[in-house]
Amino acid sequence: MTIPNRIRIHGFTDSVKLMNLYEIKNLSDFFLIYESKNQVISEEKAVSQMKESLHAMIESIEKGKQHPNRTPSGLIQGGADKIKHLLNKGGSLLSPSFTEVIYNTLAVAELNACMGRIVAAPTAGSAGVLPGAFLTIAFQHNLSEEKMIESLFVAGGIGEIIALNASLAGALHGCQAENGSASAMTAAAIVYLFSHDPEIIESAASFALKNLLGLVCDPIAGLVEVPCVKRNVVASINAIACAEMALAGIKTVVPFDEVVKAMEEIGSVMPWSLRETSQGGLAISESAKKY
Amino acid sequence: MSILDVIGPIMIGPSSSHTAGADKIGFLARLVYGMEFKKVHITLYNSFAKTGKGHGTDKAIIGGLLGMKMDDERIPFAFSIAKEQGYDFSFSYQQNPDKYPNEAKVEFFDEKNELTFSISGSSIGGGNAKIIEINGNKVDFSGKHDMLIVQYRDVPGLIGYIGDILGNHKINIAYVQISRDAVIGEAMAILKLDEFCPLKVTEEICTNPGILKAISFPRLGG
Repeated sequence: MTIPNRIRIHGFTDSVKLMNLYEIKNLSDFFLIYESKNQVISEEKAVSQMKESLHAMIESIEKGKQHPNRTPSGLIQGGADKIKHLLNKGGSLLSPSFTEVIYNTLAVAELNACMGRIVAAPTAGSAGVLPGAFLTIAFQHNLSEEKMIESLFVAGGIGEIIALNASLAGALHGCQAENGSASAMTAAAIVYLFSHDPEIIESAASFALKNLLGLVCDPIAGLVEVPCVKRNVVASINAIACAEMALAGIKTVVPFDEVVKAMEEIGSVMPWSLRETSQGGLAISESAKKY
Repeated sequence: MSILDVIGPIMIGPSSSHTAGADKIGFLARLVYGMEFKKVHITLYNSFAKTGKGHGTDKAIIGGLLGMKMDDERIPFAFSIAKEQGYDFSFSYQQNPDKYPNEAKVEFFDEKNELTFSISGSSIGGGNAKIIEINGNKVDFSGKHDMLIVQYRDVPGLIGYIGDILGNHKINIAYVQISRDAVIGEAMAILKLDEFCPLKVTEEICTNPGILKAISFPRLGG
């Protein structure tokens, strides 16, 4: 079966079906071919662009750790630095590697708030999740750059499916569309580091998105600071927990496509005041008024 | 959407719409204007006006106007860099329901402090932006194509003349949009091209006295 010039997908189920139909051996290759065909670029070019994003993500962790991470509003005051001190003096509640996930996620999310250079994946407001959870695990397991790039295509494919059927925009579907999507993408990418089984990948992505359904977008003073930065940490930790549950063999009851549909439905009935307008929720709390 | 758009763009934070998109408006405005300038005034509308300061929208637009792309780490320092280089810039802020939620207008002034050119753009999410107005003419382009923008006297035959020259140089036109101002008798053609139109071709186009100005710039992107 030859692969057509344009590949149309509607959801995850569809992608797996087409992957089998075209005899493409894994989901990462499928999304790479999908991108190459639909965007009319060579596979080499797509891989090299993804590599550039990977390098920018790695740099964003390093820069975020060096940067004082204080915003003019005063809402963000060097949280990553405080975690670093805790790590240094050995105060982790669990293992230091768990604390490192929090550290790396905060470093990137705070760097973003401070006008640093990040990869919007899928959005700037959720830029800490993939580097913080996925890259931290990939480095802790000494995995190759090639493997990381392959996994990022899986993450991107999951995000693409959400974009096609709902959106990745807080202004449309709330924070579930930003940090929820980031978490689903990251969970899928983490699984791919250890297993190519589409069922396990689907379960991880489904768990992660399900856990963050209903999350509203209510930023204080309209800034990508509070609660956005710490929600990145929640999305990171969630992604890891969901990848681990899926890798252990727990299966999702609701297929990923249906979870995305649920997210879309929840987002569409979410009041406008909770969709990035700063007219509700935390944005209108008493303490938010001075910002 | 595309997978590389989902994992991207690489940008200066904190907001793809309010920072990266704003930079792109400035960057496109610089390309479209296509000449040296020293003084600009920028009007930020609606959400850009409301939360723009906290998102560095103002710095990003200035950065774009100085030629910084959306991942340029000098963007946070764009104001001081612009001042060092002798640029004069100012801002005003407006709420206007007739404008897009994230719209900005860039006005260019000459040495005599006279308004010479105005360009409006709208940030449409994910770091994407489009130019929506040039000197009051409605336009619509985002820098995804190689561009040729020609201002000319509104007399018959000039579009054919431009098309012939491009054809002679094997430059294919993907899309043309024409807008005109009947009062002053001038028109503007926005041409989206499949190939970049080099300087020697724009110079050739400009040899016709009916042509007032031709600006060409290559597609933006990765």
